[in-house]
Amino acid sequence: MSEIVAGLGVGFVNALAPLNFLLIVGGLAIGIVAGALPGITMLNAIVLVLPFTYLMGIVPALLLMIGVYCGGVFGGSITAILFNIPGDPMNVPTAWEGYAMNRRGEGQYALGLAIVASAVGGLVSALFLAFLAPPFAKIALGFSTVEFFAVVVFGLASVSVLGQHSMAAAFVSLFAGAFLGTVGTEAQYGVERFVFDVPFLRTGVDFVTVLIGLFAIGEVLDQLAAGTPPPPATRGPRTVPRLPVRALWPLRGSLARGTAVGIAVGGLAGAGATVSSFVAYGLEKQVAKDPGLFGRGHAGGLVAAESANNGSTGGAMIHLLTLGIPGSAATAIMMGAFLIHGIQPGPLLFTSQPEQVYTIVAGMILANVLMIALGFAAALSFATLMKVPAPILNTFIVVFCFVGAFALRNDMADVWLTMLFGIAGFFMRRWDLPIPPLVMGIILGPMAESYFLTSMVAHGNDLTVFVTRPVSAVVLALSAAMLLWPIIRHVRRA
Amino acid sequence: MTARRVAAPLLGVLAAVLLLLASGGLDTVSAPGQLGPAFWPRLVLTGLLIACLAKAFEEWRAPERHGDAARTPVARGRLVAAIVLLVLYVLLAPRLGFPLATAAFIASFMALAGVRAPLTLGLAAVGATVTLLYVFVRLVYLPLPKGAGPAEELTLALYRALGIF
Repeated sequence: MSEIVAGLGVGFVNALAPLNFLLIVGGLAIGIVAGALPGITMLNAIVLVLPFTYLMGIVPALLLMIGVYCGGVFGGSITAILFNIPGDPMNVPTAWEGYAMNRRGEGQYALGLAIVASAVGGLVSALFLAFLAPPFAKIALGFSTVEFFAVVVFGLASVSVLGQHSMAAAFVSLFAGAFLGTVGTEAQYGVERFVFDVPFLRTGVDFVTVLIGLFAIGEVLDQLAAGTPPPPATRGPRTVPRLPVRALWPLRGSLARGTAVGIAVGGLAGAGATVSSFVAYGLEKQVAKDPGLFGRGHAGGLVAAESANNGSTGGAMIHLLTLGIPGSAATAIMMGAFLIHGIQPGPLLFTSQPEQVYTIVAGMILANVLMIALGFAAALSFATLMKVPAPILNTFIVVFCFVGAFALRNDMADVWLTMLFGIAGFFMRRWDLPIPPLVMGIILGPMAESYFLTSMVAHGNDLTVFVTRPVSAVVLALSAAMLLWPIIRHVRRA
Repeated sequence: MTARRVAAPLLGVLAAVLLLLASGGLDTVSAPGQLGPAFWPRLVLTGLLIACLAKAFEEWRAPERHGDAARTPVARGRLVAAIVLLVLYVLLAPRLGFPLATAAFIASFMALAGVRAPLTLGLAAVGATVTLLYVFVRLVYLPLPKGAGPAEELTLALYRALGIF
C-alpha cells in the first residue's frame, strides 16, 4: 500500500510538470469537442492525435491520449442533453434522460449532474486502477465470451425499461434494430446478409447514421411539424450549467452503482463504455423507487449512465497496464503508442517501469478532476447555442447532421441513410414506437451475435455453457428477471 | 381506425416473414455442425415476428390509442415540405456542391421554420456555409461534395477565393 502511495506521489509530480499538465488539458479539450460533435467520435480523436505522439516520450504521449479518452467519453453528453444528439453511442442513455430534463427546463441541472457524475466515475475508476488493478485483472482474465454475451444480454434486457406504453412496441423496435445490425458482410463467414445488391450496404448500416437520424433529424421534423415550442431553457436569459454538489447527495446510490458497473464492465476486455452505460441504466431502473419516471427525465438514470461510461475508462486501462491486453478500442490505440515507443505493456510494467505507470495513473486522476472545470466551460459554450431561436438552431442541426454523417466514410450513402432514419424517427415518435430500443438493438445486437457465435464455436454448440458458468448464469438470471418482472406485474394488475 | 392500427404491426409480420425467406440463401455457406451466418438473423427475425404479432394483438384489444405524441396535431403541409427539402438537399449536394446546396438549404429550411427577415436568411446562409467550409474543409480536410460540371468549377473558385485551396 505504502509503495502505491509513494508511486502515486512521484506520478503526480511528473504529471504536474508543465508540459505534461498542458498535454492533459489539451487532450481533454480535444476529447470533449470531438465527443460532442456527431460523426466525430472519441476514437477518431485518439487516432488523430496518435501521429503527434511519435515525437514525444511515452509518458507525455499517453497523458495526451488519456486526456482525449476521458474528455471524449464525457463530451457527447453535452449535445445529448442540449440537442438530443448523442455524440457517441455511450451517451444514448444520457440523451434519453438528459434531453427530457432539458425540455422541462432542467438543462442546467442535467449538465451539472453529467459533469460531476462523469468526473466522479472516472476518478473512482482511476483510483481503482491505482490500488486494485493486479487482483482485478486476474479475475477479469478468467471471463470469456460466454460472460461477455451474458453482460450484453443484460444490457439488451433493459429494453423492459424503455417500453413506457407498450412492451410489445419496445420489442418490435429492439428486434428491428438488431436486424439492422445484421445487414452487411458477416465477420465469421464473410458472407453478405440482406444486402440485396445495394453496394453501400455491404459494409453494413453504421449505427451513427441511425443515432443521428432518429434522434436529431427526427426531433427537428417533430418540432417543425407539431409547432412544439423550444425547450424552456432556450427562452431563459442565460443557460449556465450549475454544479449540483448538494443535489448529488440524494443520488449517491445511483452514482455508486453506475461507477461500480462502469469499472466492472469496463474491466471486461472488449465490453467498453457503451455496454457499461446501457447496463448501468438498466440496473438503475430495476432498483429505482420511481421506475415509471425513466425516459421522462430521471436524474438517477442520467447519473448512473454518465458515471458508468467514465467509470469504464479505468477498468479498460487495467487490462492494458497489467496484462498488455487492450480492454477497449481506445486502449488498443494506446497500446499502439506503447509499442511505437518500444515498451511492451503487461505484468512486468509495474515492476520494471513503475514511475511511468504511476505517472499515467496520476494523469488519469488529474484528467478527471480537471474535467469538472473543462466540462463546465464546454457545457457553457454549447449551452449558449440554446439561446439561438429554434428555427435557426434546427436548420443548423440538420446541416451538422449532414456533415457528421458524410464524415463517417466520406460517402453520400451515409447521409441518405441518416435522412431516411430521420424521417423514420419522426414516424416512430408519432406511432408510439420507442426509439431507444432500436438504437440498443443496432449497437448491442452485433456484439451479442459475435460473443454468442464465438462461445458456440469454443464450446461445441453446447448451449448449457451459458448456465453452467456461474457469472454468466447469474447475469442471465438477472436479465430474465428484468424482462419477466414487468410482465408478471402487468398480469397481476390485470 | 382499429383496422389501421392493427395493419401496421401486421405489415411488420409480413416484412419479417419475407426477410426470413430471404435468409434461406445464407445456409449454403455454413459448414456441418456450425450454426452458420443465418442463425442470428433468423433468431432476431423470429423475435420481430412474435413482437409484431403481440403488438397487433395489443392494438386489436386496445380501445383507444395511448401516448401523447399521437394526439399532437401534425401540420402536414409543413412536414411534407420539410421532408422534400431534406431529400432535395441530399440529392443536390453532389451535383451543386456542398456550398451552394447548403446555402440554399439553410435559407429555405429557415424560411419554412418561420424566419421571414431576408437579411437574417441571407446572412445565416452565407455566414454558416463559409464557416462550415473553413472548419470542415480547411481544418479537418473533409472532402465535402464539390458538385459536377460548372458547379464544381464554382465550388473550386469559392475555395480559392476563401483561401481554402
